[in-house]
Amino acid sequence: MRKNRSKTQNRKLNKELLVESLKLPGDVVMGAFVVTMTGNRDAWIENYRGILEYTDTVILLQGKTCQICFQGTDLSIDYYTNEDMKISGCIKSVSYL
Amino acid sequence: MIALLKYLRGYVRIKVWGFSPERFMNLCSNKNILLWDIKKEGEVYYMCISLKGFWGLRPIARKTGTRVAVLERCGLPFFIPRLLARKIFVLGFAAAVFFWFWTSLYVWDISLMGNYTITEDIFIDFLKQQGIHVGMSKKDVDIGELEKEIRRQFDIITWTSARMEGTKLKIEIKENTNLQTAPDEDEKYPYGSNLTADTGGTIVSMIVRSGVPQVQTGQEIAQGDLLVSGRVPVLNEDATVRKYQYVRADADIYVRHTIPVRETLPFYYVDQVYTGREKKKYYILSGEKEYTLSFSEITYPYYDIVSDSRDIELLKGLTLPFSFGTFTYREYLNVEKEYSLQEAEALLGEKYSEILATLEQKGVQIIEKNVKIDTESNGWILQGELTVEEKTGLEETIVPEETGSEDE
Repeated sequence: MRKNRSKTQNRKLNKELLVESLKLPGDVVMGAFVVTMTGNRDAWIENYRGILEYTDTVILLQGKTCQICFQGTDLSIDYYTNEDMKISGCIKSVSYL
Repeated sequence: MIALLKYLRGYVRIKVWGFSPERFMNLCSNKNILLWDIKKEGEVYYMCISLKGFWGLRPIARKTGTRVAVLERCGLPFFIPRLLARKIFVLGFAAAVFFWFWTSLYVWDISLMGNYTITEDIFIDFLKQQGIHVGMSKKDVDIGELEKEIRRQFDIITWTSARMEGTKLKIEIKENTNLQTAPDEDEKYPYGSNLTADTGGTIVSMIVRSGVPQVQTGQEIAQGDLLVSGRVPVLNEDATVRKYQYVRADADIYVRHTIPVRETLPFYYVDQVYTGREKKKYYILSGEKEYTLSFSEITYPYYDIVSDSRDIELLKGLTLPFSFGTFTYREYLNVEKEYSLQEAEALLGEKYSEILATLEQKGVQIIEKNVKIDTESNGWILQGELTVEEKTGLEETIVPEETGSEDE
């Protein structure tokens, strides 16, 4: 079990090393979130799997490797497609879980 | 732009509630269904969804255990069937567009610019002869041929430009204003001309440029007297006339004479006093015909009519062959009034200054005025004399005498 974990960790490290050395875009290869924010009013998010929770104070999104949580007030989704989405409202914090 | 596309393709506003609306949204995005304006109120989600996406919602809703209700339908796909239900409206709209297009194929107005000596009536008659008139089809107007024909028909026109502006045929012309008329005048007098007096009086000054003077300064002349003869004798050495040369007599001769002035004004006059009561009637003018849009009778004993009309111009350059306007019938009463001295003086003075103005316009110099206002048995009278100096001399062609006029 332990050996197994170290193996996957190693593989992960190798992958990061590869991405870094070949200067590949991280969001494509690693499936990481791309979050663009203007002030605290608007946020554009790409590379997600889906919505886990949506209220006017919390929006929780599932990514490939982790989850991202927007907290604030009057949050709403302006549009939502397979590729990207836009959140608007008063964003107070962004956290990765 | 995106909003316009959304409108063209149509969308619905729906509300989603039930077991897992978040999963509903994820499935939508996985199936490439665009969602926007997603709002949450309590347990209910409101969102907009494209019409195409809406048809594929049923399996998603079943899978996620949510319920979907349509709140609002927006966009063209919903608007057109509603519009088509109003057949007469669509028909009328299409007819209006067609009528507009159809009327724009005709000439509804002809304007002429740049004419000084050629009157508009003459020109319109000419255009009629050419088959160009208001209401004709635009494609029947041969602009190039028309321009050529204008120059051919009127020698005085040196430049023409005709063009269509909307439904208006604009014709611009330039006339030759400094025509050489002198040669023609000389032809009019093959044997020269005499100057005769067109007004009598005392000659105060005379300058003779050509011809033999027959009068002198200070002489009294009557109307019709010969002033300057165009028949110039050529003398032999022994002072006998060898022959006559014919020239055009030319002289500046000023005579002084008096002009009687007499203007009358009755004591009483009839004034139109408006009672302030008036009636309006609307009318439509189409070509020569007039349609009044009212059938009420005018019951005033005396009235005058003020008409006010205007053309209908749909767009700039697109005039229709209709004009509309109003007739205003204003009632008045005839009241007999008497002129006061001041009014009479003012009115007579006005007439008097008009006389003076016309004299001055003719180049008459006024030397002395002896005019006064008086009363007569039946009115005011302004009378007297004006002493004036004016140019005299009327050119008359010479009829050559058979004998002695030619070389012996």
